[in-house]
Amino acid sequence: MKPFKYQRAKEIKEATKMVAANKSANFLAGGTNLVDLMKEDVMRPDELVDINNLNLKQIKSIGDKISIGALAKNKDTANHPLIKQNFPLLTQAIMAGASAQIRNMATNGGNLNQRTRCVYFYDTTMPCNKREPNSGCGALEGLNRMHAIFGWSDKCVAVFPSDMSVGLSALDAVIKVQDEKGKERSIHIDEYHRLPGDSPEKDNNLKHGELITSIEIPKNKFGKNTYYLKVRDRASYAFALVSVAVGLEIDSTNTIRHSRIAMGGVAHKPWRAFIAEKMLIGKKPSKELFEEAAKMEMERAKPLEHNKFKVTLGACAIVRALKMASK
Amino acid sequence: MHIDGERVLSCLTLAATCEGKEVTTIEGIATGETLHPIQTAFIKYDAFQCGYCTPGQICSAVALLNEAKQGEVSYVTENIGPKSTSMTLSDDEIRERMSGNLCRCGAYPNILKAIKEVHTGKETAATWNFAKPLDQQEDANNETV
Repeated sequence: MKPFKYQRAKEIKEATKMVAANKSANFLAGGTNLVDLMKEDVMRPDELVDINNLNLKQIKSIGDKISIGALAKNKDTANHPLIKQNFPLLTQAIMAGASAQIRNMATNGGNLNQRTRCVYFYDTTMPCNKREPNSGCGALEGLNRMHAIFGWSDKCVAVFPSDMSVGLSALDAVIKVQDEKGKERSIHIDEYHRLPGDSPEKDNNLKHGELITSIEIPKNKFGKNTYYLKVRDRASYAFALVSVAVGLEIDSTNTIRHSRIAMGGVAHKPWRAFIAEKMLIGKKPSKELFEEAAKMEMERAKPLEHNKFKVTLGACAIVRALKMASK
Repeated sequence: MHIDGERVLSCLTLAATCEGKEVTTIEGIATGETLHPIQTAFIKYDAFQCGYCTPGQICSAVALLNEAKQGEVSYVTENIGPKSTSMTLSDDEIRERMSGNLCRCGAYPNILKAIKEVHTGKETAATWNFAKPLDQQEDANNETV
């Protein structure tokens, strides 16, 4: 592990200035991903700015939105009465990820910014365009069972591992960020994470020195018609092969008025199933409708050598999640 | 280990970040010579073989008991409501909540028995809901995910 300087920031401006001034500095929040990557020599910052003392932990109602602080822990967010009441989908998605110990440490901002768990990214003896631009992609023609079936490029086929972000995508969340000059930006969750394209070293559209301050989620009319389904190699404590977050607005005539479907484990970002979403509008929930929507969505998939199973699995997972949400 | 009463991973915690916080390791779980009920139950049910994972299992289990009292949910919790009330955990709930602690010896059935006895306050043997006849399962309508 490379030696590094450790500092603690008291204010947002101080923290963002410290990181902006040094290209090799990183914010330290929960540390569950960053410290691991430093021990593996995958990330080699020479300065860590500890932001845990910043006042960014509140979860509160602001008009027709709920704001969750970037530094609130994943566990506290999932169990907060406002979240359980308004967004049980987010509670489910957070609790589907990691383990109790990790959720106690991990923050909401850090969850959004976690890196891929692609084995070629982690193995520093292997080529990886995300870790070392222009070194090649080991996974493209290597072991790619866990990799992307949507939106990949020949530079990178990694998937984004967060469950929470998939839930946030189905909930139309907005990420609030602030830079070292105090300038604020709001980025919709679907525009926050990136597809790999020619620059897989960039996971998201956050600039160096910019800090996530909160996540705002608009209240919705999904009621109880939401579900987060995670399919993995073992029953718990594993990353998703495929996951599906669903929110349905179903009116008194049992007609679907509004729908959100987001998938995890299939792309470099939470993958919105726009085709399936549109097919549900104005229709009544049924097995046939869900199967047709899932089929049309998954027809766009471009699987790699070892992950063709994700196309069928993804379709089945969409149908299952829609059934559970419309119960 | 616990930091300010919450279970966390020591391997991902930088010591410098612990300034002013209360850190409890396995050495601090007992009160003097009196073992914590979880420790006593681990001995009673032989909830370990090589012992390598045992400090983590015990620290994790002690925190799990408090989390259940606070009514904290897990991925397998049915009917997430706004209120948090003390809950009695099923075997599947305990397994889900302990999934961050791996045991290569495979002492899981006895770890489960030990935790369940302390959690429920009564002697218990482990059962697997999925292995029971359908009409005897805790919730036959609950499709497995």
